[in-house]
Amino acid sequence: MIKTEDLFVRFSDGSGIRYRDMRFDTGRSYALLGASGVGKSTFLNLIAGVLTPAEGRVTVDGEAVSALPQRARDLYRIRRVGYIFQDFKLLEDMTVQDNINILRLEGVDTSQMDALLDRLGLLRLKKRRVNRLSGGEKQRVAIARALIKKPAIILADEPTGNLNYETGVEVVRTLLANAGDGTLIAVTHDDRLAPMFDERADMNAVAEWVPGGEARQHA
Amino acid sequence: MLSFAFKSMATRRAKLVMTALSMVLAAGVALLAYNISTQVSEGIVNTAAKYDIIIGPSGSATQLAMNTMFFTDKPLGTIPYAVIDDLNRSGQVNAAIPFSMGDSYNAAPIVGTDPALLSDKALLKGEMFSQPLEAVVGFDVAKTYNLNPGDQIISSHGLSHDGAAHADHPLNVVGVLKRTDTAYDNAVFTPVSTIWELHDHHDEDHDEDHDEEHDEDHDEDHDEHEEHHHAEAGEICAVLVRSKSLADYAALMNWYTDNTDYLAINPNTVLREVMDNVDLSRKIVYILCAVILVMNLFVVSVIALLNMYDSRREIALMRLIGVSMGKINRLYLIQNALTGLCAVALSLLCAHLCLWGIRGFVSRMGIVLNAARVYPLEWAILLCVFALSILPTAVLTRRMARKDSLET
Repeated sequence: MIKTEDLFVRFSDGSGIRYRDMRFDTGRSYALLGASGVGKSTFLNLIAGVLTPAEGRVTVDGEAVSALPQRARDLYRIRRVGYIFQDFKLLEDMTVQDNINILRLEGVDTSQMDALLDRLGLLRLKKRRVNRLSGGEKQRVAIARALIKKPAIILADEPTGNLNYETGVEVVRTLLANAGDGTLIAVTHDDRLAPMFDERADMNAVAEWVPGGEARQHA
Repeated sequence: MLSFAFKSMATRRAKLVMTALSMVLAAGVALLAYNISTQVSEGIVNTAAKYDIIIGPSGSATQLAMNTMFFTDKPLGTIPYAVIDDLNRSGQVNAAIPFSMGDSYNAAPIVGTDPALLSDKALLKGEMFSQPLEAVVGFDVAKTYNLNPGDQIISSHGLSHDGAAHADHPLNVVGVLKRTDTAYDNAVFTPVSTIWELHDHHDEDHDEDHDEEHDEDHDEDHDEHEEHHHAEAGEICAVLVRSKSLADYAALMNWYTDNTDYLAINPNTVLREVMDNVDLSRKIVYILCAVILVMNLFVVSVIALLNMYDSRREIALMRLIGVSMGKINRLYLIQNALTGLCAVALSLLCAHLCLWGIRGFVSRMGIVLNAARVYPLEWAILLCVFALSILPTAVLTRRMARKDSLET
C-alpha cells in the first residue's frame, strides 16, 4: 500500500504544490486525471523517490521512502518501481535491448526480455537503435523497460500519449495484465481510457498550486 | 559492466576518438620536448668527459672540440703524426690517440684512428680493425645500411656523401660496435693508415685530372680540395690525449699553447663554455616546455570535464531508472580510464615514433637519440594525463550524487 501524507513540493522559483493525502492499495489500478500542469507528473516523481518533498512523506508498505537516503531510494526504485516516463527517458544512441539490459547493472534479471518484447511487438526491433524508432515504438520500449523487472509498483506518466486510441487501449491492457498483484498508477489525459482502471482520481482536486511568496511563508 | 561501458563508448566513439587525440597531442608534445632536450644534454656531457687535452692545428677551439668529440664540422687542418710520437716519448701521457676525418660513407663520417679510441666501446659483432682498409662501423650505420662483418663499403671523398667514391679501395667491415647512444653510433672507424692510403691514390688521380683540365677548372677544384683538409701520409687532424697527472696536463697545455702552430684545448672546458652560451636558450626551452606541459594538462582536464558534462543527460537518465550513483560512477570511470589509457599509450608511442623519425636528422649533428629511452618524468607526465582523464568523472558524479535524480 502506498500512502502520501501532507505532501508539499517546492520548486526553484519558490512556488510549490500541496497535495491532499492519498492512498493506493496493492493489487489495484488507478488513473490520475487532470488538466495539464496541475502536478500529476510531479506526484508520480514523489512516489518514485525521484523528487524529495519539502514537507510530508510517501510511505510504501509502512516504510517512509521519501525519507530514505539517496542510495536506498535508488534501490527502492530499481527493485520495486517500474516507471514509464512521459518523455520515455531512453538512451537514444543505444539499441532497444541495451536500454533494457542497462538494468542488469543493478542485478535485474532480463532473461525474459525476448518474450516481453514479443508481447509488445518489439522483438524484430530488438537490435535497432532507439533514435531510429517512432514515438509509439519508443513508448513501448519504455514500457518494456519498466515491466521487465516485474515491479510491485508501476508508475506510468501518459503511457498512451503518443499512441492512437486503439493502440492506447492495448497498452493499458498490457499494463493492467502485467501489474498482477502490484499497484498501477497511471497519469492520463484521455478520459476514454479512465474506465479501464479500478479507481480514478481527479488531480485538479488533489493538487493545490502555492505561489512563491506563500510557499516560502509556509515553509 | 565492462561490456556496457564498451557499448556506451561505441555510441560516442567519434567524440571519444577526438578526446583521445587531443590528449595524445597535448601529452605527446610535452613528452617529445622533454625527451629531446634531456637526451641532447646528456649526449654532450657523456661524450666530452674522456680526454683532458685535444691537440690540433691552430684555429677555433669549439670547432676542434665538436669535430673530435661529435664528428661534426670540418677538421681545422692537419698536424704531423710525429706529435703522437713526441707525446709518447714525453712519458706525460697515458694515451695519445690519432684522429683523422675527411671521408664519409653515405651520411656517416669515416674516422681514421687507433683501436684505443674505441677501448671503452664494446663490439656487437666481429673484431677490432688492425690492418689498413679494415673498418669497424657504429651501431646505427650497421643497422641503417645492413652491414655485417665481411661486407665491403665504398667511402666517398669529403664529408658530404656526394663526393668522388674511392671505389677501387673498398673498406672491409670487420666489426660492428654495440649501441652507445653517442656520436660513435653514426660513424665508421678505420686505422689512420687507411686514410693515408686512400688519399695517396686519390691525389694521384687528382693530379692526373689536373693535367687534363683547363686553368679555370683547376682553380675551382683546388678551392674545393683545400676545404676538405685531408690528412696526407704522416698527417692527422688531431690528437686526443689523456695525460698522466695534473702536472703533466699543465705542462703539455702550456707547451702546445705556446706553440703557435698548434691549438691545445680541454674539451670539457670548451664544451662547458659552449653549453654556458646555450644555457639561456636551454632555460628558455625548458620554460616553454613547462608552459606547454601545464597548458596541455589544462586542455586535457577541460576536455575530460566537457566530455562528462555532455554525458550528464545519460547519467541523469540512468539515475531516474534507478541505477545507483556508485554504478554510474564506476561505469564512467571505466570509460574514461580506457580512453585515458589509450591516450597515454598513444602519446608515448607517438612521441617516441617522432623521436625515432628525427633521430636521423639529429645524428648528422653528432647526437644520437635513443627512441626507446623513457625518462621517469615522462611516466610522471603520463600519470598526470591519466589522472586528469578520470578525475573529472569522480568530481562530477560526486556532485550529481548529492542532488535529486531530476536535478542532475
